[in-house]
Amino acid sequence: MRFRAKIVDLACLNHFSRVVNTVARLAKTCTLRLTADKLYFILSDKVANGGVSVWCELCQGNFFDEFQMEGVAAEHNEIYLELVPENLSRALKTAQNAKTVKIKLTNKHCPCLTVAVELPSLSSSSRIVTHDIPVGVIPRRLWNDFREPGVPDFDVSIYLPVLKTMKSVVERMKNLSNCIVIEANLSGEMNLKIETDLVSVTTHFKDLGNPPWASDDECQSSAQGRDLESMAEARIDIKKLLQLLAGQQVNPTKALCNIVSRRIVHFILLHEDVSLQYFIPALA
Amino acid sequence: MKCVIGGGHLRVFGRAIHAIARISDEFWFDPVEKGLALRSVNSSRSACAYIFFSSMFFQHYCWTAGSKSCQREKQLPLPCKLIIKSVLPVFRCVNMLERNVEKCNIYTNINDRHITFQLICKHGIVKTHNLTFQECDPLQAVFAKHMCPNVLKLQSRLLTDIMIHFPMSQEEVTLAVTPMKVCFKSYTEEDTDFSKAMHTEIQLNPDEFDYFQVGVDSEVTFCLKELRGLLAFSEATSTPVSIHFDRSGKPIAFSIEDMVLEASFILATLSDIENETASEQPPRFSQGQDSKSEKTSVDRDSNSEAIASRKPQWNGNSQNTELVAPRSPLAKQEIKIIPKISNKDTTGTEGTTITETDDYTMLEARPTHFDYHKSKLLHTGIGFCTWCITCVVSYLYKYCIFQFHSLFFGAVSFKEKDAINHILHSLATASDTEEDSVNMQRSQVL
Repeated sequence: MRFRAKIVDLACLNHFSRVVNTVARLAKTCTLRLTADKLYFILSDKVANGGVSVWCELCQGNFFDEFQMEGVAAEHNEIYLELVPENLSRALKTAQNAKTVKIKLTNKHCPCLTVAVELPSLSSSSRIVTHDIPVGVIPRRLWNDFREPGVPDFDVSIYLPVLKTMKSVVERMKNLSNCIVIEANLSGEMNLKIETDLVSVTTHFKDLGNPPWASDDECQSSAQGRDLESMAEARIDIKKLLQLLAGQQVNPTKALCNIVSRRIVHFILLHEDVSLQYFIPALA
Repeated sequence: MKCVIGGGHLRVFGRAIHAIARISDEFWFDPVEKGLALRSVNSSRSACAYIFFSSMFFQHYCWTAGSKSCQREKQLPLPCKLIIKSVLPVFRCVNMLERNVEKCNIYTNINDRHITFQLICKHGIVKTHNLTFQECDPLQAVFAKHMCPNVLKLQSRLLTDIMIHFPMSQEEVTLAVTPMKVCFKSYTEEDTDFSKAMHTEIQLNPDEFDYFQVGVDSEVTFCLKELRGLLAFSEATSTPVSIHFDRSGKPIAFSIEDMVLEASFILATLSDIENETASEQPPRFSQGQDSKSEKTSVDRDSNSEAIASRKPQWNGNSQNTELVAPRSPLAKQEIKIIPKISNKDTTGTEGTTITETDDYTMLEARPTHFDYHKSKLLHTGIGFCTWCITCVVSYLYKYCIFQFHSLFFGAVSFKEKDAINHILHSLATASDTEEDSVNMQRSQVL
């Protein structure tokens, strides 16, 4: 098992750091899956995570200048590592004006992801900062736990409002209640509601637009026969929603959510070369 | 003692207080003829801070003469101990200080046992803080910088850039030097789970340092948290930082020196058991249980020397700092702090076993002085307590309610004298009104 990668371009480094920061806000521990041409940050929906799951996919070619990977075996040319994304985020944070950043899989006292940052310095030779991030290698028999989640059979799919606005609304609501209700319909309307004994607050968003999904027989039957005005709603943990919104530093190219009434809410955020999917289960 | 700090230097003074706050909860305010010294020692005696502002740092500095009350009393201003928590709010937001405060007056009133910090701000606002203090002699570390074989000098900006790579939660850092390279790395204790901890290492070229002298290859581990205060302080003063150190186990000193100020943070370093057995140190400073007798004689010598003079011991004392090697390599070592009570040597040399009560006895230095203090304290014991309460109340009063009062009593004073009179007057008025109301109630009942 071998892995070596190098980032030389500052913009790519910046972008990669931002992705890692977002993942770090969503999960304490997650799985990093490396294939020949993609990286995945995966959090599977175990009870320990509160049922949320994350699937973040990046094309390595858009970030890394050099990328060499040798998987566990020839026919399974992939590496699955368990790591704390916060550590990786911290290692990249102070590398923002680096000459190069090299990431490689090493085995020091335990398997580590070593991030070696070469920083410019006043003297002739550069300053080298090395971070050793301990990782766990996930054996092949457990790889099935980390398959890509399918798009659920949703009732409504709608584009999200400007994330910054949504974040400030949800932040204020967090102080009043622990759960929030997201409801949306196929006319581009979305409401965020909280309700407590003392107060209920609703924020209405209009003209959001509904994304067209490639027609699939199952999807169509549930979506087409649907009344345009009727709302699909799900009550979710407000903190989980805020984790997603707070982690966004740059506005995504596309942001939408699919709601399965009273079951699950599925968020999809797309940047040019990164896709992030976040599933929040509905509360009883 | 009275001194005035001008606007520009307030930021530096504020950062000095913050730096000292990282070491301990209390610090000594020690005015001497040449300037004002701030000292602090942490509870485990593994870190010692000393910041000295010369009289040129202040717009106005008066140690004894000049003030009428001082002359009348014919008293030398004594060093006093303050609680950091009381002083820190005065200098809390350093950036705001710079923008809003024109100058800061600090003066002590020995009779009343309080120190007054008065911030003269823009728009005619005067904030006065009266804080009580305890009189006691400060502890000083004995450390001969010029005896250290390894000396590094670097710009404060560079040192901050290095330390920024370590997370804020990183407690300890190791500095490893050879004549060819310098390396700062994070240190994890042996019993921590290695598979969880992230390890960071920074390699530097000797070229990056203003001055680089490595007499002996060494790896010293010290507490980063305690150092961070000095980093911020040195950035405020933009002076280069000098690092003096020796082998592991011996303390490391970070110091900065300017025309008007000087600061030294001495931190204990972890001793490495493996290195000890192979060490080539002269027996005088050898670590371990066998040299106890030698150590006690050394202690007594230094005590007598130290007791003779109150001045800082940086250059005067020719002895290196004594450190004791505990059995476990993980234990932090105590920096030798003087003055020590000599009859405590037998237990005291095992640095790590000194208990709380011993700490307090260590604070009282010269026997004669101690007696004087003690009697005075007993005498005014009750008086002191009530005064303490009044001072605390008055501190709260002024800090929280000053603006409110100024609205009612109409006077917002620019001058310090008026402000004090005004405040005393307002206290008196308050108690009067209470009495009146009580009387009135009584008369009604009757």
